[in-house]
This record gives sequence, structure tokens and C-alpha cells, in this order.
Amino acid sequence: MSGNILDEAVEVWFGPQHVSAHGWATKLTIVGDFIVECDPNAGYFHRSAEKCLEFRDFRQGALIMERLCMLEAFLAEYPYVKAVEKIAALEVPERAKVMRTIMMEASRIHSLQFWWGQFAAELGLFAMLLWPWVDREYFLDSFEELTGSRHAVSYNTPGGVKYDFTEKSVKMLLRALDRIEYRIPTFRDMILKSPTFKLRTRNVGTFTAEQGLKWGLSGPNIKACGIPMDLRKDDPDPDLAYNMCDWEVPTTQSEEHPGGSDAYDRMVQRFREIETSISIIRQLLPQVPEGPIVDPKARAKTNRLPAGEAYGRVEGTRGITTLWLKTADKAQTPYRAKIRGPCFSSYYSLKHLVPGSTFADFIVIFGSLDPYPGWWDR
Amino acid sequence: MSPSTLAKHVIDRHPDVSAKEPEGNRIELIVPAERVRDVVGMISELVPDALPESLFGVDLGNDRYEVMYFFWSHSNLMLCQLRVTLEGASPEVDSVWDIFPGMEWHERETHEMFGIGFKGNPDLRLLLLPDELDGKYPLRKSFKTDRSRLAESGLAETRPTSKESETSG
Repeated sequence: MSGNILDEAVEVWFGPQHVSAHGWATKLTIVGDFIVECDPNAGYFHRSAEKCLEFRDFRQGALIMERLCMLEAFLAEYPYVKAVEKIAALEVPERAKVMRTIMMEASRIHSLQFWWGQFAAELGLFAMLLWPWVDREYFLDSFEELTGSRHAVSYNTPGGVKYDFTEKSVKMLLRALDRIEYRIPTFRDMILKSPTFKLRTRNVGTFTAEQGLKWGLSGPNIKACGIPMDLRKDDPDPDLAYNMCDWEVPTTQSEEHPGGSDAYDRMVQRFREIETSISIIRQLLPQVPEGPIVDPKARAKTNRLPAGEAYGRVEGTRGITTLWLKTADKAQTPYRAKIRGPCFSSYYSLKHLVPGSTFADFIVIFGSLDPYPGWWDR
Repeated sequence: MSPSTLAKHVIDRHPDVSAKEPEGNRIELIVPAERVRDVVGMISELVPDALPESLFGVDLGNDRYEVMYFFWSHSNLMLCQLRVTLEGASPEVDSVWDIFPGMEWHERETHEMFGIGFKGNPDLRLLLLPDELDGKYPLRKSFKTDRSRLAESGLAETRPTSKESETSG
């Protein structure tokens, strides 16, 4: 028996072949059953999206953005669209503003449903993998009816949206909402009341709001600590319609961890996120005004942009998603585009969050942050 | 704290920092490279809930670079943006990772993409790029991509230019 416990440490690569590792790998240093060091590795999914954007014109760029996160495609393409609109000084019609907001919230629900299934499966609850994914299909059907595509929707475009609501697409969206609303109580019983789930997630991956903010975490991960940090309210976007409905930023006040959160609280928070999104869509759908869906000058104005800088921000499903755009005068392509994906910070925070926990808890901590490799690798 | 109050506090202590006119809730400070740590330290003191939102480089050409820092504060509803200009073939700036740990990976990415050094950051290994990448600093304008090499190769563009498509129909 040696004096230094670290002499017995073993290095284990978690991923990229592991079933729960969807294309990422983390190097863990383990002593016995405990992780003493965590070194997350990024880059397995890197497609140099920022460099690609420098070679695409201002209407093509949004298509690259949505491919970074297919689950929240309506939200992912928005920061780019917003930045182009700012520099080109486009005016978004009222109808497009409301339609955008509705579809962005639908996209948020869809993304959260996907995460429910994925996270539950990582914990071994396979019924919870399949059930929300069945309901997710209803949203995908409505996206397909509206845009012609299930995932790569390419809906937002500088100056408005590409496809108008039809009677059928609205009906399908309402059907998806009815379905998820009807199922939420079942899922609550299945997950939040499940003793297995509680044992697996309570007091796992605990951090305080102060720590989370220093690491750069945002979105539901911070809202689960009781801080109502949400760009939809904090930095209201004049081109979206969140001010047309009555809603509160959902937060979770943890009884076990005041001012902080554990994996269980983050699951509770994501239930609330879905309920808020449903309420926003239900309030906005009857308010869609008549009119055009895109600025008539959008095409002419986005061929070449004047020199400028703009910062497009949106509250994504996983947190603050931004794009910083710099253009040279009369250029057809961006000079520089910088994408800030929310999961870049969540993945980084594992470095601080994981050491000290057991090997079995690693995937619970990681899953509870709602990671998506596209957002850190870009 | 309002954006203009923050700017006033920073400029009072460091007169070589200048500020642009605030735009709504956004403020931009232009910071000399040697003042970065002082200013970021002040932000962390004056704005306790500052979120390190983003950090990245911009290649301005002729060996001039900009490093941008973004901080968001929920309690003040304020977006603070720092702009640092660097010069030289291997530019360097002080790291702020110990003040805001969230900036550690952003610095690592800026280092591999632009070749900008961050003094004091202990871990500047490659983050996203593979070890076997041919050539260095992919986001510098001098980096040759497959697309920018098309002209050298003499191959036709894969897509017709807008003029050609107009004449053909």
C-alpha cells in the first residue's frame, strides 16, 4: 500500500464509443469508484461553422446555424437572422413576429421532450425514452406540414419568415400541444415521483447560482437555482412577440439546496419550461395578425450589406445563444461571425462539477445539464 | 448599476480606458491590452452576477487583431462589451480565466483559431482542432481553405455566379 492515494489512479476515457456519449469523449481520472479529475474533450463534431459562414451569403448563413442544433432549429437560426436584420435595417412585419415566436416556442418544447427521453434513458428508464419521443412526432409532423422538413426547417429568414401558417399546420400544432398537455401529468408521475429517479438524481451535481454564473451557465441550469435569468424578459426583442402575452419566467426554488440546484431540480425546471412555452403558444395563436410575412425589401437589401457590427441574442432551450456578426462594406459574405452556444459553458463546467462524485453519477451530472455537442463543437 | 455608471467607475480609475455612447442596455469599453485584467477585475467586483458570455478574436488584417469580451448581468439588465486591439505576428494579452473560470475555454479556442496568446492561462492545448491539421490558425484571414484555393486550382466554381444565371435564363 503506497502512501499517495493518487498512485492508484486510473485514467478512463468516457466516450466517444459509449452509448451515452453522442460523439464526445471525457477523460476521467478515477481512484476506486471516485472521480478525482475530469478533462472534457471537445472537437469530435467540429465542422468549422464560423469559417463556413464567412463563405456563405446572408440568406444562406441561417441554414448553417440550424444544423448546429437540429432539435431547436427555429431558435438556433434566429441569432444569425437577427444580426443580419440589424445591419441591413430590415423591418419585420407584425405577422412574422408572432409566427416566429410561436414556432420558436414549439421548437423549445420539442427539444425539451427529446432531452426528457435521452436523460431518462441514460438513467435506465427506457419507458420514458419512448413515450416523449412518440409525442415529439406530433411536433415534427406540424413542422413538416409548415416547412416541408422535419428537422432542417429553415423557417426564419432575414426580414421575416419563409412559410405562412395554413389552417392545417395550425391544427397540427394544436394537436401536438393537446397531446403534450394531456401527457404531462403522466410524465410527472413517471419521473418526478419515481423513487428510483429521486435516488439517482437528488444531491447529484449540485452547484450554487454564483458558481454557475462564473462558469458561464445560463438558461434552465441557472433558472433551476431560483434566478429568473431569461433573455425573453430581460432583453426584450422588438422583433419577437413575447410582450403580447402574459407569462412569468419559470424558476425552481430548491428546498434541499437553497440558492443552488441538483440534477432533480433541473428536471423539475424543465417541466416548468414546457408548461410556460405551451401557455405562450396558446395565448399567441389567436393573436396572429393579418398581413405580409416578410419585408418586401429583404431580398434586395441582403444581397450586399453595409459595414457594421451586430449582436444577435436569443434565449435558447439550453441558455443564451448568440451570434456576433461583422461585415465589411458592400460585402456579400460576413467578415467574421462568432457563435456562442450555451452548451460550450455546460460542457466546460464538468471540469469543476464532476470531481468528487462517483463514476456512476458522471452521466447523471452530464445529462442533467442538457448537453448538445453541436453547440460546443460548432 | 446602469451601463453609464459602470463606464464612469472604470474610467475614473483607469483614464486610458474609453467608452462608446451606451445603446440602450449595452455599453462598449475600449481597453488597452495591458489594462484587461484590471477592467475585468472591476467588472467582477462591481457586477457580482456578471456572466462571462463570450470571448473571441477578430482578424483585422495586417497583423492587427481585436479581442472582444462580453459580460451579461441579469440583475442590472446590462450587456458590457470590451474591445482590445492587439498587434504583431504573435499577439498576446493577459488571461482572465482566474477571475471568470468560464472564459478559460473561450481563451483556449481563440488561441488555437487566431494564434493569440493568453498570458497566465495554464491550459492552451488544442480544443476543437485535430492535432494533424495542416497549417495554423484557421480563422486568420491568411489561412487557405479549400474554397479560397479554388481560384489557384483553375477549377470552375461549383455554383454559377449570379450574372451567369441571369443570362442563362
